[in-house]
Amino acid sequence: MAAVSVEEVLEAIKKAKVITNADKLDPSVLLSEQDVDSLDISGMLLSVEEAFGVEIPDEDIDGIQTINDIVAYVNVKN
Amino acid sequence: MIGISQIGTYIPEKKVSNLDLLEKFDVSEAFIREKIGVLHRARKEPEQKASDLCVYAFDDLKIKTNLNVEEIECCVVVTQNPDFNIPHTSAIVHGKLDLPEDCASFDISLGCSGYVYALSIVMAFMQANGMKKGLLFTADPYSDIVDEDDKNTALIFGDAGTVSLLDSSATLTPLAFDFGSKGKGYKGLINQENLYMNGRAVFGFTATAVPTSIRKLLSKLNIAKENIDRWYLHQGSKYIIDTIIQRLELDESKVVFDMYEYGNTVSSSIPLLLSKDIDSLQVGEKIALSGFGVGLSWSSAVLQKTN
Repeated sequence: MAAVSVEEVLEAIKKAKVITNADKLDPSVLLSEQDVDSLDISGMLLSVEEAFGVEIPDEDIDGIQTINDIVAYVNVKN
Repeated sequence: MIGISQIGTYIPEKKVSNLDLLEKFDVSEAFIREKIGVLHRARKEPEQKASDLCVYAFDDLKIKTNLNVEEIECCVVVTQNPDFNIPHTSAIVHGKLDLPEDCASFDISLGCSGYVYALSIVMAFMQANGMKKGLLFTADPYSDIVDEDDKNTALIFGDAGTVSLLDSSATLTPLAFDFGSKGKGYKGLINQENLYMNGRAVFGFTATAVPTSIRKLLSKLNIAKENIDRWYLHQGSKYIIDTIIQRLELDESKVVFDMYEYGNTVSSSIPLLLSKDIDSLQVGEKIALSGFGVGLSWSSAVLQKTN
């Protein structure tokens, strides 16, 4: 599978309408510093799991704190 | 056909404010209002048991109806926080209400999916045995098992009890049900020494299983979601209700939301909502119910008001 891009991950999150400010997210900044709370992160990760067919187990969550982390994780899994 | 005739409810007057816990749990008021959806949690007195919540709900039912307890042929309690492990709580309720000796009594051990499951179980039980009037109670006092220092559960659950009068002449009757379980996920919501909830696991389960269940149910009935006049979803949290609305693309104005002042009352949440509307439903209106959670399990139903 071709590498997933930041734009594709953001598009999946926007399409799922999980958060209202997906357009303004900085991929390299901690989600927790961008007004994204723990519930939003659960919703975002579910939308990523569904869009890219990956499973993100709880033990891997601590390492996923930015959009760039999500992109890297999906690409490693794929 | 057996249907729901009336619903009695009890919400303890005592409330615990989540707004007093912002600093303790490092959360904002916006998070409490817009994501959790619970400003205050209803709290029973420590010595009160599930059966007491049932009896108070029954007192409310008596005010709403001219019920004669001699006519009650079955008494069912949905709870996972019974008064005792032995005996079943319905036996205690049976005794407290002085119900007839030929009234069948049993408990159903289910959580948030319990009310909808129980409607099907009890209606079928009554139908099979020629019964005309039965009582279906819900009472799951989570304040006995929640760790007040656990951010994942301490802001959510409230205590309440309800009783639905099921009657062979009632006009709110089921058209179809859908049930299911993901038993491999049972550890997502479990009570060992205290209640534990893996919020992400429960959220993921709900966001995927509930829309699927509802689509399946509507397909079985060959009706569109637009034909449902009101939606009564288990009040797990505002975030989960909003997620289901978004995923099913429901008309938000038709989805009942009311948990700000008492919290997630487990199997009591749907009958609490329905009790406020049952007298105003119009003939022909269809309503959808869906309960989901502990198990992990779910149950959905479509009911219709008939002549």
